Amino acid sequence: MSPVIEVVAPRLLGPAVMVAAAIIVKGYTDVGDGFSAAVIVSLAVALRYVTLGAENAERSLRILRHAPAVTTGGLLVALGAGFAGVAFGYPPFTHFPPPGADVVKIGTLELITAVAFDIGLFLLVTGALVVLLHHLARLAGRWTR
Amino acid sequence: MNRRPDALALAATITAAAAFVASLGAWSAGGLAIDVAWVPTLGLRLDLALDGLGVLYALLATGIGTAVFAYGAAYLPRHLSHGDRPASEARRFWPWMVLFMVAMVGLATARDLVLLFVFFDITAIASYFLIGFDRHRLEARGAALMALMVTGISATLLLMGAVLLYVEYGTFSVPELSARAEPGTLTTVAAALIAIAALAKSAQVPLHFWLPRAMAAPTPVSAYLHSAAMVAAGVLVLGRVHPLLAINDAVLDALLVIGFASIVIGALLALAQDELKQILAHSTISQYGYVVVLYGLGGSAGAGAAAFYVLAHGIAKSALFMTAGAVTEATGESRLSHLGGLARQMPVLAVASGVAAATLAALPLTVGFFKDELFFKAAIEAGPVVQAMAVLAAALTFAYIGRFWLGLFTGPRQRDAREIPLLLVAPIVVLAGLAVAGGIVVDPFAALAADAATVTSGGSVEVEAAYHLDTRPENLMAAAAWGLGLFIMVANAVRDPIVRIVGRAGDLAGSGRWYAAILSGVHVLSHRIHAAEVRDLRTSLGAIVIPTGVLTALGFVATPAGHTYVVGDVALSDVPVIVLLALVVISGLTVARDRGRLQPVLALSVLGFALAATYAVVGAPDVALVAVLVETMLTLVFVGVYSRLPPAGATDVADPARPSRHRIHVFAGAVAGVSAFAVIWAALSRHAPARSDSAAHVQLAPEAHGGDVVTVILADFRGLDTMVEITVLAVAVIGAAGLLRRGRLW
Repeated sequence: MSPVIEVVAPRLLGPAVMVAAAIIVKGYTDVGDGFSAAVIVSLAVALRYVTLGAENAERSLRILRHAPAVTTGGLLVALGAGFAGVAFGYPPFTHFPPPGADVVKIGTLELITAVAFDIGLFLLVTGALVVLLHHLARLAGRWTR
Repeated sequence: MNRRPDALALAATITAAAAFVASLGAWSAGGLAIDVAWVPTLGLRLDLALDGLGVLYALLATGIGTAVFAYGAAYLPRHLSHGDRPASEARRFWPWMVLFMVAMVGLATARDLVLLFVFFDITAIASYFLIGFDRHRLEARGAALMALMVTGISATLLLMGAVLLYVEYGTFSVPELSARAEPGTLTTVAAALIAIAALAKSAQVPLHFWLPRAMAAPTPVSAYLHSAAMVAAGVLVLGRVHPLLAINDAVLDALLVIGFASIVIGALLALAQDELKQILAHSTISQYGYVVVLYGLGGSAGAGAAAFYVLAHGIAKSALFMTAGAVTEATGESRLSHLGGLARQMPVLAVASGVAAATLAALPLTVGFFKDELFFKAAIEAGPVVQAMAVLAAALTFAYIGRFWLGLFTGPRQRDAREIPLLLVAPIVVLAGLAVAGGIVVDPFAALAADAATVTSGGSVEVEAAYHLDTRPENLMAAAAWGLGLFIMVANAVRDPIVRIVGRAGDLAGSGRWYAAILSGVHVLSHRIHAAEVRDLRTSLGAIVIPTGVLTALGFVATPAGHTYVVGDVALSDVPVIVLLALVVISGLTVARDRGRLQPVLALSVLGFALAATYAVVGAPDVALVAVLVETMLTLVFVGVYSRLPPAGATDVADPARPSRHRIHVFAGAVAGVSAFAVIWAALSRHAPARSDSAAHVQLAPEAHGGDVVTVILADFRGLDTMVEITVLAVAVIGAAGLLRRGRLW
């Protein structure tokens, strides 16, 4: 492994998360969505696994062990965004606020249900891919041993 | 063997009894109906009505259900202990029994053809698990599969008929269809398809062979399946869709022929059987033949008689099955030739089952007398041939059921009967009491049948059942039938050869043999295809690309359209796309030709990135972004996996035993490639997006507070689809964890 990659790979995660956040925030008005953002973050994590090895990668980034919880949480957020309206008699995936109404904006981030759904999607895909990475890396480690 | 009936059995019996009372209440209140939209876009409605026909079958399913479940509460623990099985296996029994009942009540009340199909199939599924309850026995498993195959496959015909009618008349609702349907080939075909499904369910010739095999089930299942569920479901459907069947006389005539064939064949085979339950099983084929004949005769007389027949038969047949079970429990013997003279040891059972047998044989003072009176009355209107057949049918019934009862309870005693629980006899006594009550006061039964027939025939129907001490034709026919039946019973020398010939003919050329031949043929075919498919990676891929290619090509041949293939102009702005696609082609060839490991992977990723760039150039940035990301991920995975494989050459030894299949590979590649080429060219030749939602989506995106259409579609317009997709991803992760780490998520 070249020294360049060894130095660069661990430091890529920060920028990757930034890019992902940017894609989600402006995603609804521009190209990209929760899925792309999730794959970008997982790529950075995958690169860490490749350069550091599974054990070191997980030891240096303890947050990874929460991936199953993130997956579940993402699923719940997405379900909530999609089906919360059902409790009030709306069809599933009704858009709030409704078309034409004013939208609260924080910068370019629009507070609408679709964005909440997108965030849930991001969490689920990120968590799922990290869990898969974890299992595959451990499996690969077992074979070489 | 002092076992208390378990809680599940008790709960099931109470459920059935409560449902029976509720159905009675609903009937006296004039019926009940639920009609709500189910899948509005497909025109499906949850249309359940406890109308006359619904009440009749619901009462049958819940009433006989109560008796059979109570019997089962005593029977099942004994059945399990005979097989040295734990009592906890009852948990695999009662839920299916209750589902069986619920499905039957649902079927009775469904007025929508698709709903009818759904309940039809639920009864098939429940029966599969109940017939195969003794799953350690090969016989039971085969019988369960046969019942599922015959009734399940034919049930798809019901769905086909429903869809045909929907395409023509725009509704699945039976009452609406009855009003709208007009004579025509399509209506006839649809009606015939539905009728075939119903006839297979009611075990009519030639699809009758599954029913005797289904005797592998525990006795309560048989008793229920033959009298009030499953087999009754077929004639119930006939009664429900009868207005559609009656549009074409040919369909009704076919019913008449099939019904009489079933009566005669079922009865002759019943005369030949020695196993108690086999006698009764063949009797069921014969008895539902009566009902099919009556629906084939049509009109209000036929409809009323059919409804009444189902009711009377249900009571008698369930009691007789429970008798067979009780006798076998008491003596340990299930063959008629090894039994006899039990009347002294089991007097109550003898009297109760005698009433049930008399009901089936249509003797006076039982409700069964009227079933034949109405049958004869309907036959008289149909001419001499039908009259003669009706007398023959009743005579055969008299003969085989007489042989059954007399063989069990009279003559020299061959086996001693042990004491059996009260609960194995009480339900039979109750049903016998009901049969006698119906023989004295027939009005409630007649009213129930009249209400049901009103639904079937579409007009008000009177069912007149009464005793007449005169020489009207019905009485003469009944007397003739008894006389002839007595003769058949006594004249062994005449009867036995005929019965034996019919039995041999059935064994040699019957539909059961066809079923076995088809099943083993399908098995061999499936085995060959499987063996060819899993030979190596290439054949596995070929199994996907060859059928896809051939089917697509067929689709193109079958739907010719002008201007499908257009060679467009090449503008200067297209040059980047052409260059990128050339790169795709070159890397594709490299992937195919290079024999190394890493080079094909890298070429593959070049191919992917070039395609991603193409998307970006033609104006699909979202797709391009995702393509780049996925391509990066895949390359990483490939490199990661390949770096851990053993060195090249160690495993790549050609197996000399395997002949090269170069030609087949070229053929597969050509078929798949050419058809993919044709499809893509055709797609690119169509400039106008025909019938697409995309224009509407683009227009609506600003309304949904979105700037990027693709994102809005994913997260909003098609949010439900995305939801399902990411759920699949979560499930896939759980599956991978299960395979790799035995379910540990981390």
